Amino acid sequence: MESVTSPFAYTVDAGDRHRAKERLYVICQLAGWSFLLVFDLIFVRLFGEEKKVDSSTCSIAEILALGLLITHYARHWLTKWGWKELGWRPLLPRIVGMAALLSFIWMLTGYTLHYIVLRNPWAAKYSPGTIIAVSILDGSLLMGGWLGIYFFYHLFDRYNRLRIEQLRLAATVKEAELRALKSQINPHFIFNSLNSLRGLIDENPDRARQAVMQLANLLRYSLQSGQLETVPLEDELSTVNDYLALEQVRHEERLRVRLDIAPGALGLSIPPMLLQTLVENAVKYGIAPRREGGEIAIIARCERDHLRLQVTNPGTLAAGGGSTGVGLRNAADRLGLIFGAHATLNLREDPPGCVVAEVILPLETMAAAREPARIRDEAGPAARPAETKAALRA
Amino acid sequence: MKALLIDDERLARNELRRLLVKHPDIAVVGEAANADEARARAAELRPDLLFLDIQMPGDDGFALLESLEPPLPLVIFTTAYDEFAVKAFEFNALDYLLKPVDPARLAAALEKLRTHAEAAAGGSAASHERPARLAPEDKVFVREGERCWFVEVKSIRLMESEGNYTRVHFGDAQPQLFRSLNAMEERLDPRGFFRANRRQIINLAWIDRIEPWFSGGLLVHLKGGPKVELSRRQAQAFREQMSL
Repeated sequence: MESVTSPFAYTVDAGDRHRAKERLYVICQLAGWSFLLVFDLIFVRLFGEEKKVDSSTCSIAEILALGLLITHYARHWLTKWGWKELGWRPLLPRIVGMAALLSFIWMLTGYTLHYIVLRNPWAAKYSPGTIIAVSILDGSLLMGGWLGIYFFYHLFDRYNRLRIEQLRLAATVKEAELRALKSQINPHFIFNSLNSLRGLIDENPDRARQAVMQLANLLRYSLQSGQLETVPLEDELSTVNDYLALEQVRHEERLRVRLDIAPGALGLSIPPMLLQTLVENAVKYGIAPRREGGEIAIIARCERDHLRLQVTNPGTLAAGGGSTGVGLRNAADRLGLIFGAHATLNLREDPPGCVVAEVILPLETMAAAREPARIRDEAGPAARPAETKAALRA
Repeated sequence: MKALLIDDERLARNELRRLLVKHPDIAVVGEAANADEARARAAELRPDLLFLDIQMPGDDGFALLESLEPPLPLVIFTTAYDEFAVKAFEFNALDYLLKPVDPARLAAALEKLRTHAEAAAGGSAASHERPARLAPEDKVFVREGERCWFVEVKSIRLMESEGNYTRVHFGDAQPQLFRSLNAMEERLDPRGFFRANRRQIINLAWIDRIEPWFSGGLLVHLKGGPKVELSRRQAQAFREQMSL
């Protein structure tokens, strides 16, 4: 079997491909050796001695049939030794050596068969030594040609497959980038906020000014977060607070917020927009569709070797109501890329009527992660969470 | 024109009210924060015009329209960013506003509305009491999946009963209407529509030709394809009505 390096390429059509390649091999083998046979026979008839034509034809057929058999069995070993996966540099000396070895075996079996088993008389003008040496050289060239064609095909085939895989990979990366872009702030939210903001200008100019800043902070954070692998929880939380404050302008008393953040967790690094995605989801499915609204709680805990983040909202999992799960899937994909299998994201209903989105991040990996750059101005984030918290409760 | 503002955000309703001050012919008679409130307000205030937000907690704007008793008031949708909804409106002769609402865009939408209302002045859309019968120009709202229509009663060629729903045939679509055939029959003008049998009501204006059918019945061919059988008794009633 071909060894397939990429898990997603050729899963469906591997069987078909294998059969097609086997067929191609059989056709090439038969065609190649038949061509040699015809060529040699014509050569013998044109230039050979009249009375020896029959015996020459016989021995030529014999030797070529042997060649076919030898190359056929050699193919088995070439596959087994993994030569098909080698580049042309390590292949070249191997081909030369293998050609000589195969040729030696070929001539040895050929002469043994012809003169010792079939007991044909020695017919050549030259001594057996000279003849065998010339034959081996001649055979080496033929075998070398065979191996050359064989490996050239496989190199070319592998190059093609590699290119296809690269294209697929590039497409996957593009798709991931696109999805990442889409996971940024929801445009519906932006335009609704701008609309509420305009209403607020007359009603409460101070709150309107504050809301403009909050929207600006949120957009800046969202636009810049794509460049960072991780951010301190504190920065993310400050953005989440801005977001929730804006949602409160829209939903007013329908949205209540409870923060329960362990002080030790504030300095830990998390992927940007992770908490924001969870909170946006909580508002979208837990608050917006409910006439009476409800409470969103954000909980962060440091536990032994991991950070536990929870976002809860009222609602049920079954009544996902048009949820496509894209937001959470993107978040889970990103976690997988950064932390591998050590991080988890799950969504459950516990207790009934309350949906909990929970993320568990390993602490060591986060400590090892690069020192994250700060998005916000240096003075800002330290002061802001407490301040916004107060604003939210007010 | 009496307008009802329907939006779940108080600030959004305020803002729209403020923008409408510049249009004295539009009198905002009420507000509603969700579909249930809107149904009650609409029944009580009989508005001529709805400003309707699509995304609301509970029933959305479309579900509200489906449940309103026809004839429907004129409707201007307001939405923040809803590609599907906007696409759905583009097939219809009605208007939508994107939030935040541009005052110039609002003025244009209202202008369009006024000419529309003048054209339909004979109809009942602008009358203040609920008419017993629907006029040919009155509209019913139907939707199916992502498509939605405001269908003029006169363009419906056939209605078929499907339990508590009615399948409405018009143009090249046949979506389900959210009320029973009996309820529809009560509201239709008998001069324009005929109850062909237990399951079907046909629009007389859409009849193409009629041929005699088994045992004294009739087979009515409607323009656009569908054929409807009339029993002997119904055929008799049909002949009487048509000969008048």
